[in-house]
This record gives sequence, C-alpha cells and structure tokens, in this order.
Amino acid sequence: MEDSQIVELYWARSEQAITETSDKYGGYLRNISWNILRSHGDAEECVNDTYLRTWNAIPPARPSALRVWLGRIARNLSLDRWKQSRAQKRGGDEAALLLGELDACIPAPHGTEKALEDQEIAALISLFLRDLSPETRKIFLRRYWYGEDLTTIAACLGCSQGKVKSSLFRTRKALRAYLEKEEVLL
Amino acid sequence: MSGERLFRILGLVDEDLIEEAGTDSSPTAIQRRSTPWGRYLAAAACLTLMCGLGLAWLVTGGFHGMGAAAPGESSGAGGGIAHDNEPLYTDGSTVFMSYAGPVLPMTTEESDPGLTAERTTSWDFAPGTYRDGSPRQWSAVVTDRYMLANPTETDTTVTALYPFTGSFSELAEAAPTVTVDGVKTEAVLYAGAYAGGFRGVYEEDGLDDSTWNLHPPASWTDYQALLEDGSYLSQALRENPALDIPVTVYEFTDFEAPTEEYEAATQAISFTIDKSRTTILTYGFNGASWDEDTGWRQYDYFVPDGVRGESEVKVLIVLGDDLQDYTLQGYANGACEENGKIDGVSCTIIRREATLEEALGNLCRAYADQYMDHLPMEMANIFDSVSMELFQDAVAELLTQYGVLSGEGLVDRYSDGRLDDLISEALTQERVLYLRFPVTVPAGGSITVSASLWKAPSFDFGCSESDNVDLQGYDLVTHLGSTLTFTIQRASLVNTGGIELVRQNVGFDLKNGKAEVELSPDEAHYYLEVRPLEATP
Repeated sequence: MEDSQIVELYWARSEQAITETSDKYGGYLRNISWNILRSHGDAEECVNDTYLRTWNAIPPARPSALRVWLGRIARNLSLDRWKQSRAQKRGGDEAALLLGELDACIPAPHGTEKALEDQEIAALISLFLRDLSPETRKIFLRRYWYGEDLTTIAACLGCSQGKVKSSLFRTRKALRAYLEKEEVLL
Repeated sequence: MSGERLFRILGLVDEDLIEEAGTDSSPTAIQRRSTPWGRYLAAAACLTLMCGLGLAWLVTGGFHGMGAAAPGESSGAGGGIAHDNEPLYTDGSTVFMSYAGPVLPMTTEESDPGLTAERTTSWDFAPGTYRDGSPRQWSAVVTDRYMLANPTETDTTVTALYPFTGSFSELAEAAPTVTVDGVKTEAVLYAGAYAGGFRGVYEEDGLDDSTWNLHPPASWTDYQALLEDGSYLSQALRENPALDIPVTVYEFTDFEAPTEEYEAATQAISFTIDKSRTTILTYGFNGASWDEDTGWRQYDYFVPDGVRGESEVKVLIVLGDDLQDYTLQGYANGACEENGKIDGVSCTIIRREATLEEALGNLCRAYADQYMDHLPMEMANIFDSVSMELFQDAVAELLTQYGVLSGEGLVDRYSDGRLDDLISEALTQERVLYLRFPVTVPAGGSITVSASLWKAPSFDFGCSESDNVDLQGYDLVTHLGSTLTFTIQRASLVNTGGIELVRQNVGFDLKNGKAEVELSPDEAHYYLEVRPLEATP
C-alpha cells in the first residue's frame, strides 16, 4: 500500500493503518531496534510502541516520508529502552559502543558556542553530510542512523571492514572539526 | 551525555540522506532482492519516499504527463528494477525520474523586435569538490550567448526576457547572470505560474483520478505545451489584480494550556457554516474535521509551548458570511476525542475585518519571518532573491488557480483551505522565471548578450537501481517561445575531462575532438546525457 494511503488510514482512525504499517515497515523497524538493543523482546516492544506513538501522532501530523518518520520514532524509543535496560543490566551494549564513538565528534568547549535547537544542529549536520562523497556519507549514516555494525555495512556496500572503520574514523574527526568551526554547543 | 544527544540529533538529518544511506549497493545485496516481487516492493517503498512520482513511473514504464512524447522501446539490458522499462522518449532521450527543465532561448517583450540573433550555448563541466576535497562531477555551468544584430538604419531598443526553469528556493544558486557587451546588467525578476499539474498515484492505470499529488513537468514537451502560445509569459508579466475581497480575520493569541501535564495539549474551535455562503481558510492549524451534511467544522492546533519550533501564528480567514457563533474546547491531544477533553486550555481571539490581499500579505510576511528565524548558517536565504511581492503573488496565483477560490480548478491537494500548504509550496514549485532588461542595438550594428547560469541535471534517484542512476541529462530548446530571428545556433562543450557522453542528438564527438557543433534550425530540442567518469561501472 502507498504511504499516503496508510497515512490516510491513520487520519480516518482506521486500525487497519497499524496492520498496513506493520506489514510494510515491521521488519525495517525491528532491524533498527535490534541494532541498538540486541534483544529481540525489547526490540519487539519498541516496535509496538512505535505503532502506538504513530497512532497518537497522526492526525494531526501528516508525515511526508513515512518510512524515515517511523524510523526516527523507533530509534528514539530504542535508545530510551536501552538506557532503562542498561540500568537493569539486560541486553547487549551495542548502543554504548555507538554512543561512545559519537563522543569523539563532540567539540571541545571554548565558551563562545551557540545553544542551538536540535533541528538547527541537524540542518547543519545535513549540510556537512552533503559535502561528503556518497560512499562516506552512506557509511556514516548506516552506522549512526541505522545503528548497523561494521560487518553489515561492509557487506551491504561491498567493501572491507577496514575501509568502513577508517572511513568512520575520518568522518567523526571531520564532523568534530566542523561543529567546532560552527561553534555548536552539544 | 553528549554522544546520546548527538545520536538523537542525527535522527533529524534530512530525509533524503537517510533514504540514500538505506539503499544497498553491493552485488550480494542486489541479489538478495532479485525476485521480481521483492524488487518491486523494495524499490516502490524507496521511490515513493524519494518522490511521489516514482511509483507511477515504475508501474507505467514512464511519465506521460502534459504532452510528453510517448516513451519508445527500451534499449537497455535487463537486471534491475527499472531495467525492464528503461524508458526512452521517441527521440532517444531518457525519461528521467527528476527532470531539470531545458535551457530556453532569450526572447523579447516586443512581438517583432526586428533583430537577428546568432546563438552559442556552451556547457562547462569543470568538476567541483566535496567538502573532503574529493572531486564532484555534478551539474554544469551553461553560458548562453547571443549576438543581436540590427539590420535597420535606426537604433532599436527592446525589452529582453531571459527565461529559465526552476523554483524560488533554487534561485540563490541557479539564477542567471546577464551581461551586455561584457558588462553585468541589472535585470528584474518575473515569475510564471506553477509549471506542473496534479495527479493521483494510480492515474495511469485509470484507478485514480484524484489530484492529491504534485505532477511537476517531466519532459521538455511539457514546457513546450506551456510556452508555445505565449499566454504563460503574458500572465507572468502582467500585474496581478489585488484580492480586494472583504474577509473576516480571527487571530488566535495568548495561548495557555497545561503543557507540562499534556505534551500535545490541543485547542479546537468548532462552528457551523453554510458552505454555499462561507469559505474558510486557515493558517497554523494542525487538524480539521467537518460534516458535509450539517456544515459543522472543527479546526485545531497544538497549543504552542515555546519549545516546539512551530509557528505561533494561528489565523482563520472567513470569506462570505461571517461566523455566527463558535465554541472553544481544549483536548489532551490532536485526536480531539470526547474522552480527551481537558480544562485549562485558552486563548484570546481577535476579530477584525480586512481584505484577502492584506490578510495574505500578513501571513506571507509571518512565514518569511519564521523561515529566516530558523535558517541555518551557510544556507542561502530565499528572500534575498525573491521579493515579498513576488512571493505573495505566487501564493495568490495558487489560491485562485488551484485553491478554494479557483472554482472548477480546485484540486484535492488544496481543497481543505490550508494556506500553510500554498504558502510553503509556492517557494518550491517548478516554474519558468524571467529576467527582464532593456537592450539597445545600434543601427547597422550588433551587441552581445550573455546569460551564465548553474544548471542542475535531470537524474534518476540513487535508490531506484535504474541503469541511469549515474546519468546526468541536459536539454536545450532552440526557438520555443522566442521572438528572435535566429540566423545560426551553435552548441559547445568545455572541460569534458571528467565525463563521457552516453546519449545525445547534438553531434559532439569528443574522441575526435569535435566539441562544437552547428545546430539545425529545424530541430526544436537537443539533449545531452553524460556520465561522470568516476561513476562508470
């Protein structure tokens, strides 16, 4: 079913909307959740929570890119769940690894930074990403948006793990320099 | 924890980047999706997200909109999703998923300027760079040069018009620079109406006659249909009549709600109208419900909480008979359900009378203010290139051509009277824009007018698995809509080291050093499709 038709089902308050969302994007959402949580049970619950959040948000929202919109919700819910499960020492620590890598992108404070809203910082990062080569950009977003591990990224893009690793290292370093130049406070 | 915040912020990066990253590109990945149905699903999901036109293209084998030539036989080898169709127009040019519009010829406001013209159009493919310094072969700088000659014995002054395709949002990078005998000339910008149409997703199969989706121009023939009788240009140059329709404006301010307890606290206003006598336009509202039989309407918005970046401008505009009475009600969220009613939601409503012209002007300015408040550094400001008057005219044009004031022309997309959609889309819709400037050609002499512009190519989306993903298409039309008498036209290529020619009807032969060609006066359209050498499989 077309995304616009699924959105219309939400607007019509038809529960079929959730069935259609699950049929079309269930696997994709489970992958995102699994990449962060490494626990099938937790991932499944996050996906179900994603459907509930979507049901509550549409209407009034009318997402233009449903797939990305759903992925964002699943990603945030999974991170919340990871924080909760880490306290209870459940699941894997893939997310800790991911977030630790991203710590390397955080600019050093100089006291002149601007406090920007998340959306504004995201717009700046989008500009940064657009100036990378397509392959470098894909590697970075597969790791830090989709949460994929190095093996998966290398297999999907047909390159070596070493290349993925060094590309990520260079991009993190470049992003940090960019954010410092833009005086972004994180 | 900074890494965590950055992780969440990364969730908000542009959707097209996320889509691009989500596509597989290794041979094994493609093989995993090699069954026809699986490929169809994967590509359909991807394409529809990238562009509403994508699925229709897949299903039908090509766009056929608005006078486009019918796609001819496939020339391609099989393999990917789009390979079964790999559509070409009958002249051999590619049916691209995203069409950039042709380079159009200069014209004049006078129907018979009495000037002859020698035209030379060149594409410069000097590569740019990504931020990391690696070369980036994308787009071309086009120089469109005219030697205008005056064969008469008196000086001739004409008003020249240089047309180009694009949207307001692209102007900062795509607006041409015009010179006369090497001196930059100040030109005034005029804008034609939205150049595309509207369609349903399954229109080609006869399953869907709705008009919910934009259908931008898909081939040079769409522009031919638009420009050849001159009415589009006339409309672009005329002064639009003021919308001096009296309206009643209801402005919502002083918002209050228990947003700490209810994150999505919602304010709704409901009333009943006779829809044959009253028309409602809204701005800043997030939802609407209505009953066609009784005339009951409800409009609602999330109560601004100072945290979300949405507009705090909330306006209802009433055309025709004013509201007799209305009810305000607060809700826990946007579902506005009976069991979700809450107390503590309030606002002040200011009622005033105005003209639609004034009301639209206020909203356009409010939109521009909010746009500029949220403009990221390094991004060009649209309103440096587009005047408020031009912007408001474009919004009014949409409202009267396709919106609730258009009568028979009303499209589904704008049928609910949400001005937010009209105002934002006026900035991004494809149109033909014109630079207007005077030129004087001395008796028996000549001058050279040159327009230089950055031209993005036509292309297929990266996730489509089409054979044409790396192809960049450029179109040129020779005399469409022009009043000039062309004595000769030439085309040339510059800095071609980073590209190879894949399809063309111009006659370039780079291997044998033929980078300049004389064009036939009988050929209305030339196409050039190149592939960056770095992307050659």
